[in-house]
Amino acid sequence: MNWLLAIPALPAFAFIAMVALPRRVRNNILWLPIGAIVGATALSWAAFAQVWPGGGELTSVAWNYSWVLGVVGGRPFELGLQLDAIGAILLVTVTFVATCVQIYSLGYMHNDERIGWYYAVLSLFTSAMLGLVLADNLLLAFVTWELMGLCSYLLIGFWYQLEAPRKASQKAFLVTRVGDLGFLFALMVIYKAIGTWELTDVLSSIPTWAPGVATAAAIGLLIAAMGKSAQVPLHVWLPDAMAGPTPASALIHAATMVAAGVYLVARMMPVFLAAPAVLQATLIIGSITAIVGGLLAAVQHDVKKVLAYSTISQLGLMFMALGAASVGAALFHLVTHAFFKSLLFLGAGVIIHSAKTQDMREMGGLRKYMPITWITFLIGSLALAGVMPLSGFFSKDEILAVMLHGHNYWAFGVVIAASLITAFYMTRLYFRVFEGPEQDEHLHEGHISMTAPMVALAAVTCVIGFSSVRFAEFLGHEGEWPSLMLIAISAAVAVVGIGSGWWVYGRRSVVVNTRVYKDRLGLAYGALTQKLYFDAAYEILFIKPFIFFAGLLAIFDSSVIDGIVNGVARGWIRVSSVSWTFDGIVIDGAVNGIATLSRQAGTSLRKLQSGRLQSYQRLVLSALVVLMVCLVIYVVVKGA
Amino acid sequence: MLTLIVFLPLLGAATIALLPKGRPEWPKWVAAAFSAVDLALVAWVVYRFVPGGGRQFAEKMAWIPQFHISYSMAVDGISLPMLVLSALLTFLAVVASWKIDSKPKFYFAMLLLLQVGTNGVFLALDFVLFYVFWELVLIPMYFLIAQWGGPRREYAAIKFFLYTLLGSVFMLVGIVMLYLKTGTFDMIRLAAIGHLLPAGLQWWLFLLFFLGFAVKVPMWPLHTWLPDAHVEAPTAASAILAGTLLKMGTYGFLRVSLPILPAGFLAWQWFIALLAMISIVYGAAVAFAQTDIKKLVAYSSVSHMGFAMLGIAAANVIGIDGAVAVSFSHGLVAGMLFLMVGMIYDRAHTRQISELSGLAAQMPVIAGLLAFASFASLGIPGLSGFVGEFLALLGAWGSNLPQWMVFVSALGVLFGAAYMLWMIQRVIMGTPSHVIADCPDATPREIFVVAPLIILIVAVGLNWNLLLNYVDPAARSLVKLMGV
Repeated sequence: MNWLLAIPALPAFAFIAMVALPRRVRNNILWLPIGAIVGATALSWAAFAQVWPGGGELTSVAWNYSWVLGVVGGRPFELGLQLDAIGAILLVTVTFVATCVQIYSLGYMHNDERIGWYYAVLSLFTSAMLGLVLADNLLLAFVTWELMGLCSYLLIGFWYQLEAPRKASQKAFLVTRVGDLGFLFALMVIYKAIGTWELTDVLSSIPTWAPGVATAAAIGLLIAAMGKSAQVPLHVWLPDAMAGPTPASALIHAATMVAAGVYLVARMMPVFLAAPAVLQATLIIGSITAIVGGLLAAVQHDVKKVLAYSTISQLGLMFMALGAASVGAALFHLVTHAFFKSLLFLGAGVIIHSAKTQDMREMGGLRKYMPITWITFLIGSLALAGVMPLSGFFSKDEILAVMLHGHNYWAFGVVIAASLITAFYMTRLYFRVFEGPEQDEHLHEGHISMTAPMVALAAVTCVIGFSSVRFAEFLGHEGEWPSLMLIAISAAVAVVGIGSGWWVYGRRSVVVNTRVYKDRLGLAYGALTQKLYFDAAYEILFIKPFIFFAGLLAIFDSSVIDGIVNGVARGWIRVSSVSWTFDGIVIDGAVNGIATLSRQAGTSLRKLQSGRLQSYQRLVLSALVVLMVCLVIYVVVKGA
Repeated sequence: MLTLIVFLPLLGAATIALLPKGRPEWPKWVAAAFSAVDLALVAWVVYRFVPGGGRQFAEKMAWIPQFHISYSMAVDGISLPMLVLSALLTFLAVVASWKIDSKPKFYFAMLLLLQVGTNGVFLALDFVLFYVFWELVLIPMYFLIAQWGGPRREYAAIKFFLYTLLGSVFMLVGIVMLYLKTGTFDMIRLAAIGHLLPAGLQWWLFLLFFLGFAVKVPMWPLHTWLPDAHVEAPTAASAILAGTLLKMGTYGFLRVSLPILPAGFLAWQWFIALLAMISIVYGAAVAFAQTDIKKLVAYSSVSHMGFAMLGIAAANVIGIDGAVAVSFSHGLVAGMLFLMVGMIYDRAHTRQISELSGLAAQMPVIAGLLAFASFASLGIPGLSGFVGEFLALLGAWGSNLPQWMVFVSALGVLFGAAYMLWMIQRVIMGTPSHVIADCPDATPREIFVVAPLIILIVAVGLNWNLLLNYVDPAARSLVKLMGV
């Protein structure tokens, strides 16, 4: 039963071993991290089998294994692992995608002189993500949460000599850390309320919480989730994060880490249910994100950025499902999205390798030269666009059904609109890249180590949708197949979205000029190309003022505070010389001791002007002795 | 045993003084030997120490009976981590100073003498003894800065000396007053009877001690000696200054102010928390604006020590655990950061962030170590920096302190990441600048110096109990003693 620990420990061990070894060795033992993740995958399936057939309460714990991190205030901070249906599903999803990405990276990164380090960080990330999935308490969740942020930072900034990764890595870390403060806040609130972070205790004790605690905790958790899952307005880091290696984007910034926010909210759903206002806010934030992400995806020219904004939009849909209190729909979309979006990213990696550019305006006609990439990418695109019978269709349908059942008609409309935009921009991407005039470049298919994982992911994308009913039952919900009406609506949305995309980008076989459409959109298009001014606003509202005030404080520190210190010192020197004169003339020998000391100080002062260090020392000493004596007399008189 | 630990370095310093002049290689070997033996003795004390067993290894004898002054030492769960820091950092400082060639006799004697003071402060339980060690620390540090420091070393050394001496003068007044009121210098006895003192007097006494300790921590706005001292001090002295000397301040609060003057503390609690909060945010913001990497680390100390003070202001077990953990971890992390900055300066001959760039490409090991220390500093869980700051915030949140203060303090976590990452972005990342062209990577000796710090940073980060086993029982009895 302790082998549950091995699931996150195997990749963690790979990380430690890789880091401890010198670079040359590290680069040549890539079988170690791959072996570790394959082992973790196998164990994940074993864990999944233990939970099968599921159906119980969401929080049911299959196993528990824990160790004490520290005893604080006589109470142990226990970190433990637990396994339940949610965890089992995420385990197999994460390990599967991670395995695909690691195998793919063999081909994608094989020329990099720091490939060993890349694999090490990838392993640490996987370990942290698996730790989060299995965490039985919020403290371990927070620890792994932060570790994932660190790995994300390291991988985004992997090519540190370039400008974009440098800036993007820092931005990603800081923006998500704003979210982490929310997590920290929730931890403090919960600990103060009930004195434990054990998930089962936390979730079962909610009815006994003081009023406001659930709301405060839910707000903190929501902010945390928004940071990690790139929800508006904390979404700005994710598009920039595309500066990292593409397979890392596939794993971290498409399939797993960005979904951690969804996972956290899903886990903590009872807290949100006790705070309906926050739940409503989740729905609204998800709606805004779904639309904003989709619109921004539609105007990007960088293949990876289209996919990044698409991820933001899809995460918005998951948040909408959570906001409607449907953990099942959110998690199902999380899982299907993890497969098809990592597939799309891996495909984009092959495309970028071959086309030597990320700008899809420079691409075209890739279909003929890379058939495997073409077909798998098409499957991923259609799944994302929600075309039956691919997985995205089922999971999106479930979200639609949730909105319909909950009579959230405006949210239903939002999902429809987001799906429409999705279908449009994926069609745009497809035609820009694979069809149209051929690019003037030596085009070739990816190495088998890269195409094989894509095929695997595409296969899963084709079939996993049909598990939708079983998936819901596994989580203890009632599952149902999509109703005919929803199928019809979905199909119509897909047809309209793809059709309009085709109308603009696919109709003609020449280079498409979209200037007319852009002009017609006018200001709105301008705003979209400026990323709706989020970055510009943050620059003006937070970054510039912070840098300005930091600089101002630094000047304040060296001139005012330190100026006072130096001024006091100078003043003291003057006072002590005056008091020497005063003592010498008026009090004369009456207070001989003090006078002597003061005179020494005065003598030292004169010597100071000649810049001699020792005289200054003596001055300081004697001045202090005088001060000390005065103080003792004063305080003792006062105290007595 | 404790006497041996405290005065063995003094013997070492005396030995160095007797060494022949024409052998510049000998002093460092003697210093290394003595500090290594001292470290081994401390390790033995840690090994034999019973967690939760209160004060141990106690030694007590009359010293100046006419004034009830005794020679009294013991170690408890709060002083033990500090003693480890003191012994470890001194040893590492000696090894890190291997290349010192100007007046090596004087230099290494001063390093050992400094250790006498720091060891003594953390072990003394008699106020006079405490004060003697407290002041003893100033002299070697003064010479280390003034003799082997940077261009403005005289100013920085005098400022350091004057400022901290000024602070300790107030403390001395407090000690004398306490003696006049109670007739004892015994810190244990004072802790038992201190709460009986009238609240008004406690208020005054707390203020006096506060000035002594707050300068050392240093708390805003008494911090401006620190950046100057740090920047001018030689690398090893910077590491000890940050790693051990600042901890004397927080230790003073925990050993003196809180147990002896609980009512005074309560009256000042809010004010201390306020200053702690300002230190955290202000230190981080000013660190962000620095152009000198060493000054950046120095201001980060102001920010991090603010967390320790926040935990002390919380005055509950979690907060005090946090305060000690911050102190311990900051000793390791800031010590390491200063050592790294020293290695970079030795090679590039500049500390200007704008001139350094692309360290990772030119010296991957040094860059990696600097990045590691930075991540430890900005509080990545799994490394020691996280433990204390997390507990300090948690303790403050659970205390009667206003919650907005905890909120604002928590922003320090974000700002701390901001200045560190920005430094990494400019110094470590990018393409190598000309000042580091052809610079060699870390030598085995340099790696040896930071290796123990790395091991402890990771070990404490992964197993908080390595530290809290000792601290938590002591913190519990301290809180019980305070009765708040």
